[in-house]
Amino acid sequence: MALLEDLSGNLRREQAGLVPPSSKRHRTWRSTLWDVALGLSYGVLFLLFTVPFFWMLFGSVRNEAEIFAHLYPFSWKTLLPIQWTLKSYADIFGISADGQKYGLQFQRFLANSFFVSFAVVCSSLVINTLAAYFFARLKFPFKTWLLVFVVATMLVPFQATIVPLYIVVDALGMANAFSGLILPWYASPFVIFALMQFMQDIPVDLDEAAVMDGANLFQILWRIIVPLTIPGLITMSLLEFQFIWNLFYWPLIVISSPQLQMIQVAIATQTTQTQTFWGRTFAASVTASLPVIVIFLILQRYYVQGVAMTGLKG
Amino acid sequence: MLASPPPASQGWHRLWNRQNRYYVVAFLFVLPALINFAIFRYLPILAALRASVYEYSLLGGFGDFAGLKQYQDIFADSYFRNSLWVTLKFTFYKVPLQVLFSLLLALYLTRQNLATSLVRSAIFTPVVTSVIVVSVLWSMMYHSQLGLINSLLSIVDVPPQAFLSNPRRALPALTAMMIWKDVGFSMIILMAGLKGIPHVYREAAVVDGARPWEVLWYITLPLLRRVMMFVVVTQTIFSFQVFVPVYAMTRGGPLEATKAVVYYIYQYGFLFQDMGTASAMSIVTLFILLVISLIQMRLFRSEVAT
Amino acid sequence: MRVLTMTWLVGVISVIVLAACVVASPAAPASPDVMDDMGPSGPVTLRFLAVTDDDQLNAWREILDSFQQLNDGEYSYVEIEFETVPFRELFPKIESSVAVGLPWDLFQADGPDMKHYGFNRVITPLTDHFSEEEMSQWFPQSIEEGSFRDEFLGPPIMQSCSLMMYNRDMTDAAGIAPPASVDDGWTMDEAMAAWENTTVDENGDGVPEVWGVRWGQGTWTGDYEHGIFRRSNGAVGSPTYAGMGEDGLSFRGYLDTPEAVEAMQFYQDMHLKNKVTPVEPIPEIFESRQSAFMITPDNRIGALNRIHGEDGFNWGVTSIPYFQSSVCHTGSWHYGISPNTEYFEEALAFVKYASSDAGARIWYKHVRQLPANIGLFNELDEYSEDGNQRIWLDAMNTFGIPRIQTPGYTEYQQLFAEAAGNITFGADPQEQLSAAARRIEGLVAKYAGWNE
Repeated sequence: MALLEDLSGNLRREQAGLVPPSSKRHRTWRSTLWDVALGLSYGVLFLLFTVPFFWMLFGSVRNEAEIFAHLYPFSWKTLLPIQWTLKSYADIFGISADGQKYGLQFQRFLANSFFVSFAVVCSSLVINTLAAYFFARLKFPFKTWLLVFVVATMLVPFQATIVPLYIVVDALGMANAFSGLILPWYASPFVIFALMQFMQDIPVDLDEAAVMDGANLFQILWRIIVPLTIPGLITMSLLEFQFIWNLFYWPLIVISSPQLQMIQVAIATQTTQTQTFWGRTFAASVTASLPVIVIFLILQRYYVQGVAMTGLKG
Repeated sequence: MLASPPPASQGWHRLWNRQNRYYVVAFLFVLPALINFAIFRYLPILAALRASVYEYSLLGGFGDFAGLKQYQDIFADSYFRNSLWVTLKFTFYKVPLQVLFSLLLALYLTRQNLATSLVRSAIFTPVVTSVIVVSVLWSMMYHSQLGLINSLLSIVDVPPQAFLSNPRRALPALTAMMIWKDVGFSMIILMAGLKGIPHVYREAAVVDGARPWEVLWYITLPLLRRVMMFVVVTQTIFSFQVFVPVYAMTRGGPLEATKAVVYYIYQYGFLFQDMGTASAMSIVTLFILLVISLIQMRLFRSEVAT
Repeated sequence: MRVLTMTWLVGVISVIVLAACVVASPAAPASPDVMDDMGPSGPVTLRFLAVTDDDQLNAWREILDSFQQLNDGEYSYVEIEFETVPFRELFPKIESSVAVGLPWDLFQADGPDMKHYGFNRVITPLTDHFSEEEMSQWFPQSIEEGSFRDEFLGPPIMQSCSLMMYNRDMTDAAGIAPPASVDDGWTMDEAMAAWENTTVDENGDGVPEVWGVRWGQGTWTGDYEHGIFRRSNGAVGSPTYAGMGEDGLSFRGYLDTPEAVEAMQFYQDMHLKNKVTPVEPIPEIFESRQSAFMITPDNRIGALNRIHGEDGFNWGVTSIPYFQSSVCHTGSWHYGISPNTEYFEEALAFVKYASSDAGARIWYKHVRQLPANIGLFNELDEYSEDGNQRIWLDAMNTFGIPRIQTPGYTEYQQLFAEAAGNITFGADPQEQLSAAARRIEGLVAKYAGWNE
């Protein structure tokens, strides 16, 4: 619960009936002030984190000539368009004349990215959960060393292994195919390591009770561990999704056919050697960010709702 | 512990006893992941290890066996040592601040209403926005003459500052941007961790008359320790491997001030056309990170003991 | 119950994904007329790695169309599949692909990188496939850039040469009339006076609304534009002008001569002392009318037309300012044929056609950049005697020189660009150039003997 809020007042405990409410007038005055301060802090936080995004958003709906024309002195023109236009969006989705002339089809790249990210998240949910359960709960000789084996894969800079990885993927016949984008990432040391922490926080006596009922390892995982790890699973799915969604260098190397390309590489196609099509770049970036933000908005209920339901975890 | 293997039995078959059957079943849980790592992570790592002892360029292929010469070379290379130092500074400033901020935000935003849900999404927005585009926008915000940040500073009569073109400020500026970008990443992990803490512990403490900060310090944080450890260890690894903002914003300049080690590895391997030496640098980086990660995990574990 | 909710959610998303996949699945690519026109052994699809640029792709598609109709459809069975990567990633992409055997037939190669490809034999030499007459189609600079030792590796796609464009409204307002011909171009000092006159700070807050100049395309430093300062401060034939020793490996005494240092000092002063250009670059500064002059090839005209509409931007062009010798770096792009191609004959035929006057004519229509085919200048109005782009042709013929020719070009380019960047921020030019020269020599030592 909101501990910092608690620090600044005993509002919550009053509401919970844990302390006797003070005089009504006094309380109203304080809570109003508190609400205003809270609202202001929310506003500041919101702006702090979204100004660049809105800059990009407004940049994508303004006439290309003005995108960088009003940087200084800072005024409304810096952020807000003077001439509003949806041309950049019409371009990237191949609706406008320019978009058709160049055969732009960002819907395809979005669909590709969506498919690949989703496939990775699905396999990751299964395979990493199984592996994390192994590390969190099961006995095995040299398990610590196996864990080091897993975690160590995160420690090598990707720039040094990208070419050997390309050779491996090519040898397996997966170059220039969705499988080459999906299979190398179907298990993730990051996710295993994370889920392991969440699982280790679950009291062991819950498992033991299930064993008494004659459950096997898989049933314990499915009936006890997974339901109690839902926030962790969702968090990891989201992070995995955005990780794959934002891949740039790997698809750039492994994919050759434009029809199979992912969205981040497609955004980069709007930069030529001599110029950048800023309107289209911004429009494509907004289009690429929004789905993930929306998914996050939807999934939020799993972080904050039903705290009581989780309770003592059963 | 529940899942402990049953004692070895003197059954009909010595190898196929209950304990070994248990081990086999247990291993099946981790096997698919291990296969992935063996093929897609360890084969490339072994390839990099091999490349580090050969003269090797991507265009030209493998040349003579070089033994440990390339390892000697990189330690004699002051630019490599500098890049390690830059990376350490970046990691050292970024990780604690980012974890602190994300913890504060996670605690601050636990309330459930429309406002917090919007603010949480706002904090998550930079995580999902293309780093390349974010880097361009931040370069403009940091701009020494027309940047938004200098416009704000001028309100309180601070003269225009150079950030990205000043060797002393470029790395802090990059660090600040990356904290801003990644804070939502660690925040949602901590939020999931907070949510896993049984609520009754805290309520019991409150009923017992504990002050809010006492609840935070003695109940919440200790119970969050594992997730905190995870966030610190993984963020250290990711920060140590910072690449894209350097690539997109500063290209390591000015005066090597932001030349993080992975950018230098990239530059050495792909542009200086010497992947052998770049691989040696990667292997060294691997070992440095291994040591740092093990120390961090040990530190968090020793707290458990006390 | 929560698991149920999750299952439900996953189910819904799966349906969406399936739908997305149906939308995304490519329509059957084999077009019927390709199937009809079989080559000697069936249809051939050439894979072509190029730089991201939609105008270029359109140009090649049209070139391909007329190539297929050539000689009554001799090559009508040839199709091309294009793969594009951003300019900055092209070289790393080609390097990475060597590891898996260069899985394309054709690639677009930047002039200075041709030596790398030649040295490492990742490009097919074409010396025996072009006659004297065919070779005389192109600028000699393009041939030099496309060759390694005595081998001709690939014909040019186009050329470039940086001159100084200006915003005519701004020069008019300042009462400046830049010279129109390459013969009476400004010296650097004369140019500096013009830049100072066109730097406008009306509200006096220390930040000009309009800057004098942006030296170079993009927002970064590089050899193509910034190397000009150094080379221009040497007499033709001097070490400073050469930029590098004959062996292609020596840089001390070429990169860091007193003249080179003096030139880079001038470059630093532009930013810090005369303040005619911003220390930290501004994207599209010239296109958004925030600078009066810009050093750029003629491809900038296309960008101006796109952003402001045809003739929506009142531009002019003058020669490039110089210290001792006028210099512009030529910038060929070349066709490269992979040594692993199975369709050498078709690839060669396409390259021959695309680089001929007929192909280059189509190319120019889409890309609007200085052609490498000399013959084309007779038919393009803008390059005629009084055409408004004529000066680029004159400059090319008068003082256009290739960048330094060495298999260590990317090493050099990286370190020189970093040094130039540091110099704009106030670092000592002498120190920067000396350190860069020393480091480059260390890095390119591995190419010893390449030139023999």
